Amino acid sequence: MSIRHRLGVVLAFTVMLLAILGPLLTGDPTAQPDPVGGRLLAPSTAHWLGTDAFSRDVLSRLAHGARLSLLIAAIAMTTAGSIGVLFGVVAGGVRGLFGWTTSRAIDIALALPRIVVLLVVVAALGQITPVELGLVLGLTGWPSIARLVRGEALRLREETHVTAAVALGAPPARVIAREILPGTLPPALVAATLGVADVVLLEAGLGFLGIGVSPQLPTWGSMILQAQRHLAEAPWLLLAPGVALVVATAAATLLGDALRSRLAPGSR
Amino acid sequence: MSHWAVRRTAEAVALTILGAVLLVALVHLLPGDPLNAIIGERALDPATKALLREQWGVDHPLPVVLGDFMVGITRGDLGISYGEQRPVATLLAERLGPTLLLGSLTLLITFTVGMALGLWSALRPRSRRAQLLGTLTLITYTLPSFVIGLVLVWVFAVSWQWLPSAGLDDPLLPIDATGGAVLLDRIRHLILPLATMVLATIAVPIRQQRSAALATVAAPWVMAARARGVSPWRIAWQHVWRPAVTPVITLLGLWLPLLVSGAVFVEYVFAWPGVGALIAEATGTRDIPVVIGAGVLLVAAVQLGSLIADLLYRVATPGTVES
Amino acid sequence: MTLLDVHDLHVAFDGSGHQAVTAVDGVSFGVGRGELVALVGESGCGKSLTGLAILGLLPETARTLDQSKVVFDGTDLTTLAPAAMRRYRGARIAMIFQDPVASLNPVMRVGAQISEAIRAHGRATRQEARARAIALLAEVGIADPASRVDAYPHQLSGGMRQRVMIAIALAAEPELLIADEPTTALDVTVQAQILELLDTLRASRGMAVLLVTHDLAIVASRADRVLVMYAGRIVESAATRDLFHAPRHPYTRGLFGSLPTLADGSARLAPIPGIVPPPDRWPSGCRFHPRCPVGVDRCRRDVPPLVDIGPRHTAACWVTGAEANR
Repeated sequence: MSIRHRLGVVLAFTVMLLAILGPLLTGDPTAQPDPVGGRLLAPSTAHWLGTDAFSRDVLSRLAHGARLSLLIAAIAMTTAGSIGVLFGVVAGGVRGLFGWTTSRAIDIALALPRIVVLLVVVAALGQITPVELGLVLGLTGWPSIARLVRGEALRLREETHVTAAVALGAPPARVIAREILPGTLPPALVAATLGVADVVLLEAGLGFLGIGVSPQLPTWGSMILQAQRHLAEAPWLLLAPGVALVVATAAATLLGDALRSRLAPGSR
Repeated sequence: MSHWAVRRTAEAVALTILGAVLLVALVHLLPGDPLNAIIGERALDPATKALLREQWGVDHPLPVVLGDFMVGITRGDLGISYGEQRPVATLLAERLGPTLLLGSLTLLITFTVGMALGLWSALRPRSRRAQLLGTLTLITYTLPSFVIGLVLVWVFAVSWQWLPSAGLDDPLLPIDATGGAVLLDRIRHLILPLATMVLATIAVPIRQQRSAALATVAAPWVMAARARGVSPWRIAWQHVWRPAVTPVITLLGLWLPLLVSGAVFVEYVFAWPGVGALIAEATGTRDIPVVIGAGVLLVAAVQLGSLIADLLYRVATPGTVES
Repeated sequence: MTLLDVHDLHVAFDGSGHQAVTAVDGVSFGVGRGELVALVGESGCGKSLTGLAILGLLPETARTLDQSKVVFDGTDLTTLAPAAMRRYRGARIAMIFQDPVASLNPVMRVGAQISEAIRAHGRATRQEARARAIALLAEVGIADPASRVDAYPHQLSGGMRQRVMIAIALAAEPELLIADEPTTALDVTVQAQILELLDTLRASRGMAVLLVTHDLAIVASRADRVLVMYAGRIVESAATRDLFHAPRHPYTRGLFGSLPTLADGSARLAPIPGIVPPPDRWPSGCRFHPRCPVGVDRCRRDVPPLVDIGPRHTAACWVTGAEANR
């Protein structure tokens, strides 16, 4: 394992620790102990990362934000991964009209920039819960995984063990389930891990635009939105969520690289 | 070649139309009553509501909605904005100029500078400065565009107060200001958003060009060119860069969605009156006709870009595409 | 007088951290004007590095050590600044490489690559360079040169590409051509044609050729002299006829043993046991001793010097060399 990959593991562990233990150790992220005198306080021993414009503890919000981010990312990548693998395997593994149609569906979905679809969906739905946002991010994230899985399935279809199974008279559904599907899972897992970085960034982006989940929720995106409003008086408000975002996306990217060199050393 | 170009163009047009259909259908099929978006918090009696529903065509079945949309598009009609009560096409036309200005400059700078830096670092991969560049690229790659933008605002607009942080121009600029003053003011407003866009999107071309050029720098033909006494500049240009340019052209198509999402967030951060900020604001107010209109425009832009990238690729790889 | 005089050439790689590894260890030889000299050895013996070192084209991790001298027509090339060195490359010393497919830039027309070599070393307009390129393609035996000049490399066969490489090498009329395994990547029939071409050009242009190869067989009929290299050193050198009739070093004999000889009917191959060790694991004394069939104790301890054993015939061996004769 290279130093980069080890760093990925350490960073991922840090974010998970923050998400799992952080909310238990820090106070209520919505508590406003002193809305008059206690707002925009600089970091101190009482508030390690200071307080925001409503006197809420930034560290507590950061920890709860980590939990929300990971929850949303987990839902999104499970959804995107399942749909992507399903579509990709059908598009790459099934011959005939059904496979062809699925393949064109993937191409059309790929032609739409994710951010545009995401904004259209959020505009239609209005304010949604974090779980719903996770589903929405998953439903807009599957095409790239489907493309990857399709390529892998097309490659596997030509391999000897698959041809052998077909020649032995195995039914197509069985060939796909037993011979092709398992081979596409490692690259799909790598893509899903790398995709976590995109989901975390998009979730923060929506939070920053003040859309999607309620702006009252302690998300990293809404913290950055807050920071923008008080950039002159309290620039440190930008630091905590900004660094958290970089750490989380870097962790997902490096971890994805590490998984790739483990699971699919040939691919790039 | 021309036959292929016609087919590829038709494909891009078809994908754009399909994309538009999908966006319209998506809004229609998803739960969520657009009427709430139109009337907002106001409490209206049922009769007025029913009238509004009919007036805005909220309850029309999907085929009718799609048909209306498609017929409208051919006449340049994208519907009426809920919020502004003005034609969406007019709103988009107003916002297109600033977006094109910011987007095209970003494209130009990101690709020329990105390719130059990528090539430069491939020519001396072991040098300290090239490694520093690699680290900086990784950092800008993991930083979201709006965080980059806010950091720049904090440093250059808030702390040092060198540059304006929002808008297209200074509203306090005298009406009788000279052309030079207006231009200077526009440039000063452009610097921060442009720098943010470039920083947010440059990592990909740098890394792509670097890895492509690292392969060609070690190619036997480079050694052969050195052995025939070709100058280092010509080697870098003709024998390292030119064979390594095609992967970067391919990248152009993949990079455009990045430019689009960059435009949404960066325009929003800097209150830059472009299409990206428009779609972000319209999403916030649930002004669905505007969101769809701007969305279709962005889909078309991405398709056009990837079409151009494919055509360029054909030109840049003489005869090798067939194999 | 000799055109090229390589004296005590040492090439070292910067080892990973600890110490430098010497891959060419004190090689000396000369090449006269119009002479065809073959540098023969197995892969990894340092013969290609020797060729690259002459032109100052060593990889970034390698360098020539201070005592080395590469005197070309009275000038020590190792002392030249990069810009000055470039005026020798291609212009007075040209080089062609093993892989003609990869040695041509895939996105440049072959004519442009020939013109590039012409224009790098003299004033020529585009039209003049193009005309010269067509003439050169004709000289190296490419049919229909006026249309082939506009071809991209992928449109040509492997043999034709090596002919183009030779045309590029000839562009600035060099006095010495270093050919590094020029035929290894080609079919047997094409190999013979390319060697024939090199021999013809040497005669017609009076150009010296340093032919670097692992294949003694292709050397036999064409080289004036043969240098045999093993593990970074020259172990035997002689006129081709002498070497083929009376090889003295056990390694040279081993190389002949691994040639398929159809003459004596038996055609048995007797390859040398073992492989060339990498530079960081070269043994003490005579570096061939672990693989040598006739070695004695002394071979383990002392390095045998390269000594005269006949007219223009030298060998470095304690057993079969000069000492054994006395």
